[in-house]
Amino acid sequence: MKKDWTRIGRIASIVVVLAVAAVAPLVLTGGVAQNLAVLSILYAVVASNWDLTLGYAGIFNFAHVAFFGIGSYVAAIATLQFGVPVWLDLILAVVVVVAVGGLVSALALRLRGIYVALVTFALTQLCVALINSAKDITGGPVGLIGVPDLEIRGFELGSEPHAYFYAAEVLLILSTIAMRWLATSHFGLSLVALRDYEAYAVARGIPARRQRVLAIMASSIPTSLAGCLYAHYLIVASPDVFSFSLTTLLLSMVLVGGAGTIYGPIVAAIVLTVGTEGLHQLGNIRYMIVAVLIVLTLRFLPGGLWSLWTLVPAIRRRRATRVPSPLAEEASS
Amino acid sequence: MSMQGSRMQTTGSPPLLEVASVGKSFGALAAVADVSFALRERDILGIAGPNGAGKTTLFNLITGTPFFPDSGRVTFRGTRIDRMAPHRIFRLGLARTFQKEASFANLTVEQNVSLGATYGAGLSGRARERAVDAALERLDLSAMRRQPASSLTVYGTKRLMLASAIVVGPKLLMLDEPASGLTASEVADLQSLILGFRDDGMAILLIEHILPLLFGISERVMVMDFGRKLIEGPPSEVARDQRVIDAYLGGQSEAAHALAG
Ligand SMILES: Nc1ncnc2c1ncn2[C@@H]1O[C@H](COP(=O)(O)OP(=O)(O)O)[C@@H](O)[C@H]1O
Ligand SMILES: [Mg+2]
Repeated sequence: MKKDWTRIGRIASIVVVLAVAAVAPLVLTGGVAQNLAVLSILYAVVASNWDLTLGYAGIFNFAHVAFFGIGSYVAAIATLQFGVPVWLDLILAVVVVVAVGGLVSALALRLRGIYVALVTFALTQLCVALINSAKDITGGPVGLIGVPDLEIRGFELGSEPHAYFYAAEVLLILSTIAMRWLATSHFGLSLVALRDYEAYAVARGIPARRQRVLAIMASSIPTSLAGCLYAHYLIVASPDVFSFSLTTLLLSMVLVGGAGTIYGPIVAAIVLTVGTEGLHQLGNIRYMIVAVLIVLTLRFLPGGLWSLWTLVPAIRRRRATRVPSPLAEEASS
Repeated sequence: MSMQGSRMQTTGSPPLLEVASVGKSFGALAAVADVSFALRERDILGIAGPNGAGKTTLFNLITGTPFFPDSGRVTFRGTRIDRMAPHRIFRLGLARTFQKEASFANLTVEQNVSLGATYGAGLSGRARERAVDAALERLDLSAMRRQPASSLTVYGTKRLMLASAIVVGPKLLMLDEPASGLTASEVADLQSLILGFRDDGMAILLIEHILPLLFGISERVMVMDFGRKLIEGPPSEVARDQRVIDAYLGGQSEAAHALAG
């Protein structure tokens, strides 16, 4: 019985999500609203992917946002400078980003803790330096303008008003399925084990560096595609994607939404992207408001927004019955 | 694997584990110095010694977690393991537990064991399920399998640490003070578990402060002090050795009494 209800709940949420996904692009048609929606969906992809490595694996991987940026630049450079067909650049971006991600993480994970953060963040700085020094190819600080429309089998996404919106949604849905599947698989369990007690995890056969490098490579795939979509949709690739402020924004999405949940960062990406835009009139004060909200969330809801879900008493009761409570026999022994 | 092992075991066969003058220093402190010993299949070797004698460090050197020896050699099943990554050492059939009981607290009891089966023995699907079921049953954890590991008692957590080790069918089990913090009846239960593992073909390396347990089940006992091996021999001989009494048993009249009996 209980299991049936869980199942019905799950099917119901899938139906609701798909319905919202189908209708949203038809409703949010204004230029500003649509931009905001597409942007928040792409950020949701980046933040929820980051959650696999930051939340589940506990790696201070500050190269993650650079994966998004490199994806956008590979798309722009390949199509604008080398005339690569506008579907091949997607594959190219994934290949480049996965290779860079694998290389950087294999090097960075020889180190520990704060040094991992330093080395991975250095990739972001390196990207900015490369962009500025190879102006002919990258457009320098201005970036590259005029990235062609994404074209799949002769269909140009820009020719249809909702196409990018739907494409972004499809990417988010597929990415979320993949991340949840990874996180709940033995692979994901091994990441959590390494995060919680590395010495014990390796003493049970889990190869620490290999698992972590694989997690970073896996999370970089949807992230690089989000970068491509971003460049094709906005028609530009800008060095702003490597800015510290974008990294902090995405980091706050992971933390406010709830690290180690995948779903939480998606919710927070939408709330924070729309929220910061909604407060547009307030100018820079909005960032202070967002910062205060972040601090309050982390102070009073350390599990993030997603933990509200598990705090709902009815759900908690159901959880409690699903997992047998500690047995009296065990407690008394 | 175990069948092949027992067929190979004849008199004069190479030892299962051979530790040859290993050492490890932390700055000026020689935590382990020039320790050598060997272990055959199905041996139970007990290790005693006062706190800070270097027993846990010796385990760390053998298993490569979290550091390797500064000097010396460790050979397991004919393979040098003193520079081998710890996850590979486990896959070779050398499993250890930790002095402070540990678990992957955010995972369930079953997931804790399943990780060992997956990454230690490369199992998947039905074979993994069967191995996990058997290990949980063996350690009396089946009823708690879906509980978070953090909900277990001290002895429950210690049994879980054993379950995730034996699920791969190791050839050597290294136990670091498994009986500390247990009640008398739990110690008795643990003793029969350890003897059961030995009967299944595992060799046991046992660090233990509870001397009746250590001297009761070990075929040989080695005593360490200040990082060095003081003596190694049959329990009765070791208990009578004056150096051991001075270094270790001297203060423990209760323990000395237990051994005399
Ligand atoms: N990682 C380490 N760094 C520095 N000193 C250590 C480390 N590990 C152990 N020691 C020291 O080595 C000595 C032996 O410790 P240990 O092997 O834990 O002893 P035992 O297990 O016999 O009680 C102690 O003095 C301890 O403080
Ligand atoms: Mg110790």
